[in-house]
Amino acid sequence: MLVQIAHFLSILSTGLFFTTFLFSFFFSNKDINITKLISRIYSHGFLLLLTSFLIYVYLALDDNFSVLYIAQHSNSLLPNFYKVTSIWSAHEGSMYLWIVFLCLWGFLYSYFVSYEDVLKAKSLGIISIIAVGFLSFLLLTSNPFETILPVAPIDGADINPVLQDPALAIHPPTLYLGYVGFVIAFANAISFLLNGDKNIIWEDSVRIWSISAWVFLTVGIALGSWWAYYELGWGGYWFWDPVENVALMPWLAATAFIHSLSVSSKSKLLRIWTILLSIMVFSLSLFGAFIVRSGIIDSVHSFANDPERGLYLLSFAGILVILSLAIFSYRLPLLTSNKNIVSFSKESFISINNIIFGTLIFSTMLGILYPLIYEYLYLQKISVGAPFYNAIFVPSTILAALFLFFSIDSKWQRTYKIVNTYSPMILSVILSLLITVLVAILYKISNLWILVSLYTGFLIIIRYIFVIFNFFFRSKYSNPYSISAHIGLGLLIVSIALNSEFSSERAINIKLKGNDTYMGHEINFDNLELIKMSNHDSVRASFIVNDPKGKRFILSPEKRKYFTRGQITTETAIHATPLKDIYITLGDQLDDGSWIVNIQFNYFIRWVWFSAILMALAGSLLAFSLRRAN
Amino acid sequence: MITFFRFLIFVVPISLFSFLYFFINDNDYYPGADLRVSDMPTFELTTLYDGSKINNLDLKGSFLINVWASWCITCRIEHGFLVNLSSKNIPIVGLNYKDEKIDAVEWLNKYEDPYGLIIHDFSGSLALDMGVTGAPETFLIKDGKIIAHFSGEVNKRVWGDVFIPVIKKEKVEWNDQI
Repeated sequence: MLVQIAHFLSILSTGLFFTTFLFSFFFSNKDINITKLISRIYSHGFLLLLTSFLIYVYLALDDNFSVLYIAQHSNSLLPNFYKVTSIWSAHEGSMYLWIVFLCLWGFLYSYFVSYEDVLKAKSLGIISIIAVGFLSFLLLTSNPFETILPVAPIDGADINPVLQDPALAIHPPTLYLGYVGFVIAFANAISFLLNGDKNIIWEDSVRIWSISAWVFLTVGIALGSWWAYYELGWGGYWFWDPVENVALMPWLAATAFIHSLSVSSKSKLLRIWTILLSIMVFSLSLFGAFIVRSGIIDSVHSFANDPERGLYLLSFAGILVILSLAIFSYRLPLLTSNKNIVSFSKESFISINNIIFGTLIFSTMLGILYPLIYEYLYLQKISVGAPFYNAIFVPSTILAALFLFFSIDSKWQRTYKIVNTYSPMILSVILSLLITVLVAILYKISNLWILVSLYTGFLIIIRYIFVIFNFFFRSKYSNPYSISAHIGLGLLIVSIALNSEFSSERAINIKLKGNDTYMGHEINFDNLELIKMSNHDSVRASFIVNDPKGKRFILSPEKRKYFTRGQITTETAIHATPLKDIYITLGDQLDDGSWIVNIQFNYFIRWVWFSAILMALAGSLLAFSLRRAN
Repeated sequence: MITFFRFLIFVVPISLFSFLYFFINDNDYYPGADLRVSDMPTFELTTLYDGSKINNLDLKGSFLINVWASWCITCRIEHGFLVNLSSKNIPIVGLNYKDEKIDAVEWLNKYEDPYGLIIHDFSGSLALDMGVTGAPETFLIKDGKIIAHFSGEVNKRVWGDVFIPVIKKEKVEWNDQI
């Protein structure tokens, strides 16, 4: 019964969202009372949808296995925490959550933004029609409310064991909040174009929303990377998996967008870029949803599915994107500014940044589509891997970082004055060169790309250290959010370079009580025990590792076999220090009784995530400061 | 320049979306379906009911292999359709996947057994060789060759979209029974 109520409420909310859309497009947006009415209808639609979702959460907690989706993905033995997270462990439920989040952003927007905002009514209408599109997709092709009647199974099939992990419980929701958060910017941009009054500064009101969404996207991607590292046992932070790429593209577009946004809201320059990027961010999020949920590519993330889903998402995204671009193209004359961008001003550097990010997005898109085009033409499956992406991302990122370095001293709408900023710039160039040479000699690094990357990374960090120094001791104002986010970027470049230079791995065959040495570490296979747990059996190996400095520690990787699905998972054991991770996974047992053990030394890998967190932190502090300013 | 840009901004996404549209509407593309021909792997396992030995040479002619398990909820959803197929005398070999024998037999007693023969693959070794990633999955075998492989629930639509065309094209012995 409850499931039917939840189902009905979600249908009802679809109706209310559609009404919101109709009202916002057919009534004058100048009347504040109409805007109030539209906001109210929207909010009621959202509250119904939220109630429906909360009932669904209750059904999952209550082990209601007459609901097909819950029976397929949950189990009565699961802790309550995982009963809830099992909702977004597969297609239908995760789509449901996606939509709830989409509407939540709209709700917060309708709550916090003043009725005086002329773009508000139409923006809510656009958000509503997107919600209607997705809700119809959910209800027509991927209904999470489907039941198994008349007899419900006694127990559910259990959540996939690799998903029984706290990082996974928060990784998809965070990522979704990021993806759909850009709906506010998108809706405002389209609403601005429809309105056609170029004196409206839509860029100001969407800044806080876009930066918050960007923070969620950044954290979501970082969490996914961390989860793949320690739970899936992939042993690295990035694999250019197609689904990682479809998350990276909106992130790149969003990063370019929030930079461009600050220019447009200050000086109405780069407006074409800003609007185009806002359309791009949201379109790429939709494209990501299509790629993941159509089964068009093979990936760890792809859901088993039917052909209708892909077709629906493709058509919906296609209509939305092409309509937006049509309006954009129609209103293009409105967006051109009679002011020119001054060479070597901050705006000029940001537009260069936009071009570089555009190139990266285009290349990533090519990497995803090329195998599809090839398959279509030659009926053969190929894959585009790390070498392609590295060849493009490494030089482009270095180039972007160098432009960033020069942009630090640039001014808004004024050209570069090299005299004033002479010393910290030259000093950073020299200091980072010295550090790079020192590191190269001490650690015998000869790869040119690594050295160049290290150099640019150090350049940015050192330059910003000077900025911080001036900030505190010469009270020269500078933007603290920009400083910490960009130090994060410098740190990211340095840690990725060091990680790829120093990390190494080896697979060894080792018998119980045997020992081996790798990278000066003596590894003793001390013990092997069989552990019986409530939902799985586990083989746990214990290795005593003696490092060259005489420190000793124990690492216990496991192999688990889960009862309900018979799935075997590998639990890694990691000894983490600030500089490096020693990472052990247990492979198969050979006929002679020895075990294959994979040992990795991952250098600076924690710094990769730390850099991402630093960027996200800077973003969230900025969002808070904008909130206070409003 | 501006005109060209206005033109480009349409052409690029329209060509992208049309390509993807043609891609997913292509005859050879169906999510979950793999129509590449491969050899049936060799194996040596036991049957579910009596535990007698069975290997790949014992399986002759054309038949379906359905990978299922008692812990798999989707298999239960799919089950009715399989019973329906077997009532039309279409031979289905069950591949019981990573399942306890008692659970599997109890499950079949409860819901009816559509399988002519059931291979008990407790360790999942045969399933691994066949490229199974989870249950349910269904294979079409003709004379020792896998000619169709579908991951996910087989229902009336999948049967019509994926299996019937192959069965007709390859002139499987029982193509008049479908």
